[in-house]
Amino acid sequence: MTDKRSKLRRIIMDTRTLPTLPSVINKLNSLSDNEKSSIQEMAKIVSSDQVLSARILRLANSPSYGFYRVSTISNAMILLGVNVVKSLALSSSIFAIMEKDSIGLWEHSLAVGTVANLIARKLGLPECEEIATAGLLHDIGKVIISIKCSEAEKDIIRLVHEKRIYTMEAERETIDTDHAEVGGWLSKSWFLPDKLSEPIAFHHDVAGSVNHRIKTAVVHIADVLICAGGFGNSGETFVPPVQKIAWDTLKLNEQILAELVDETEDKLVEVKNFCLEMMGD
Amino acid sequence: MQKIPLLHAKAEMTLARDVFRGNLPVGFPLCGKGTKLTDDLIARFESMDVKTIYVEGHPVWEEGERSVADLLHDLDGRFSKTLQNPLNALLYDTYKAHLTKLMEATSDRQAK
Ligand SMILES: [Fe+2]
Ligand SMILES: [Fe+2]
Repeated sequence: MTDKRSKLRRIIMDTRTLPTLPSVINKLNSLSDNEKSSIQEMAKIVSSDQVLSARILRLANSPSYGFYRVSTISNAMILLGVNVVKSLALSSSIFAIMEKDSIGLWEHSLAVGTVANLIARKLGLPECEEIATAGLLHDIGKVIISIKCSEAEKDIIRLVHEKRIYTMEAERETIDTDHAEVGGWLSKSWFLPDKLSEPIAFHHDVAGSVNHRIKTAVVHIADVLICAGGFGNSGETFVPPVQKIAWDTLKLNEQILAELVDETEDKLVEVKNFCLEMMGD
Repeated sequence: MQKIPLLHAKAEMTLARDVFRGNLPVGFPLCGKGTKLTDDLIARFESMDVKTIYVEGHPVWEEGERSVADLLHDLDGRFSKTLQNPLNALLYDTYKAHLTKLMEATSDRQAK
């Protein structure tokens, strides 16, 4: 490991300066491993966080879920499922860390999460919610780079435009690592499970994912689809190459792709609205 | 699918989402998705405080919205680096077909 990279790794892994997960997540995590823990107990924890409660109720009442008249957190949790609530808690705390001016990345992340979910459901994969969460978090390394290396971030953005290259390439040139690796480090220090950390760390190199290649492939394809449609702004000017290994792993074909593009564009109308609403909070 | 203000709703458009009283997704929907709008229905929504609806396709051109030709031009730009990759070429064609479909739908309406 080069000096620069290991130094940066130390800085990033330094838990004292790392954004911490709000205690509500840790409490939820410790509870849900125990299947018996009552919804009531979880609802109590969630209710202590007002912003989170509001978001959960809004989601439970959204037409896309098809449930109406949900006014209590515990009903919402029964309807949405514990995992959705956990994903929502995780994502809403991560986006609280992101600054307002990174709305482009916000939109990109939400869109990739939504489309990852769409792909997972369409292909009948297990653990769709986890895949959606991985999609939502896939570029978290960019947030960390922006917080920890704000000077370098400016150089990265400049390089991307001047040299017409991908963010990954500019990152490696500037800080000797890239946002996927940084995201991987972060997920380790947050003790996120492999099924989340692998898609985050390997969404630009699907072959590197060994234990959760299917999930990683979904996130990769979702990321490329969103770049192709030009939704949000991840800082990328060009659509990255679709990795053949991802395409093969998911057994995609022309027909499925055409359906995905149509369905994606429909979903994005909702994502756009959701973003606008959240920004209004 | 497009979200439009009720003011822009016209007979013959098709609902892409259920419509609720006062736009709040609470209780039973006033009208289910898939329904073709009529003038009577639109008047009824108005009286029920519905402000926005979701409709199929992309029937309303909004102020500041980019034209399909502009969108195609951007698409070309975004793919300019990876078109030699067969899977990217396929993705490009798929998006292009999607946008072209949108363009045809728009010009159909203008013809009417
Ligand atoms: Fe990325
Ligand atoms: Fe991305």
